[in-house]
Amino acid sequence: MDKENEILKELEEISPTLCQMQKVNVFEVPENYFEELTEKLTLFTLLNVNENSAFIPEKNMTLSEMRDIPEGYFNSLSDRILSKIKNSEAQNEEEELINSFPVLYSLKGKNVFSIPQNYFQDLGSIILNKINNKQEAKVVSIQSKWWKYAAAAVVTGVIAVSSLIILNDHSKVTANTTASVTSAKIPDYIQSSFKYKTPEQVDEGIASLSDDEIIRYLEKHGSIIDNDLLTKGVDVKELPSTNDYLTDENTLNDYLQKIDAKNANQNTP
Amino acid sequence: MNLPQNDQELLESFKDPATKEQAFTGIIKKYQEKLYWHVRRMVVDHEDANDVLQNMFIKVWKGLENFREDSQLYTWLYRIATNESLTFLTQQKKRSTSSLSDDENGLSNKLKSDTHFDANKLEWKLQLGIQSLPEKQRLVFNLRYYDEMPYEQMSKVLETSEGALKASYHHAAKKIEDFILNH
Repeated sequence: MDKENEILKELEEISPTLCQMQKVNVFEVPENYFEELTEKLTLFTLLNVNENSAFIPEKNMTLSEMRDIPEGYFNSLSDRILSKIKNSEAQNEEEELINSFPVLYSLKGKNVFSIPQNYFQDLGSIILNKINNKQEAKVVSIQSKWWKYAAAAVVTGVIAVSSLIILNDHSKVTANTTASVTSAKIPDYIQSSFKYKTPEQVDEGIASLSDDEIIRYLEKHGSIIDNDLLTKGVDVKELPSTNDYLTDENTLNDYLQKIDAKNANQNTP
Repeated sequence: MNLPQNDQELLESFKDPATKEQAFTGIIKKYQEKLYWHVRRMVVDHEDANDVLQNMFIKVWKGLENFREDSQLYTWLYRIATNESLTFLTQQKKRSTSSLSDDENGLSNKLKSDTHFDANKLEWKLQLGIQSLPEKQRLVFNLRYYDEMPYEQMSKVLETSEGALKASYHHAAKKIEDFILNH
């Protein structure tokens, strides 16, 4: 069944009278109305969008008469329309704010945040420096990450192990052993490790070391002990990401404590 | 040599190794303030905003060669700044050990720790109200209220329909006004 028959059948079921009535359009339109409608509408709309335009076509004005408008009018029309649309959108937004949220409107433009002086003047060169430095340092980025972990792990290990040895030895010292005898037998660097008795103190000890001190230490002792220390208890998959390490100073401490705990568990019989 | 101000010219200059850095500086100079304030309003703290902005421009440097010029540079920069700000806030949230309430990033506390903070002043209440919003609503509110960004453009930055953005802005403004009146 085609669409027309279907509609007729539907209407017949609803109202046989209506179905039998002839379809007649009682409304009339002017001659040639549809031929010119699109053009007229377009022109009329565009002309009225321009707020400066007082041009209103007469009821029976022909298209050729409507075209009798200032020279060059259409050259800048699109810009004027866009500007009008933008203005009206901005106006609506402002009106909405005034009418719906007067408190927010009254606070617009008040800035509570402060920034360092000349911040924006220097920003461009700071960023370019960073970009150029990054490009130069690209080749060693993986090694430098390992170096940081290695240096910290070596120093932590040495301090912690030294502290444990000394503490154990110290507890075995008999009551009549004098402090002078003890200090005479023990080298300076081990004596200095007496102060590292808690994890917090060890952390402070690491923090107090300069890069130069770590480098000098590694140059002297690193080759002997680093392989052992680095391979023991270090799982590459568990290493914090570079970002975490660089942006949070606690990340390395947390990680090293985890390694210490893991090693302690492994050493427990 | 005069620095071109037009985006198209800046992008062309960026392609030429001889003028690449100069063009990039031009892009930074042209957009830095708008982008800085966009980021700052999201992350609150200046140092955080500075980090996010610098990282963002470093990514722009890397990505600009592949930038498709059929989209607007301004919109693209806003999208990167927005993504970087949200990534920063997510990382911060992960690291946070404090109990998380409705202000999950502790941004209200950052505001309160500002030396100029005055709980009785409406402009500070407004900031507290903004920080109490969910991230997406906060973004929409800031882009519309401060940056006066048309919904059409915002739709490209946030990849959300204009209708949803209008609704989101309306909800946000209502919530903030209620917050100001009730606190």
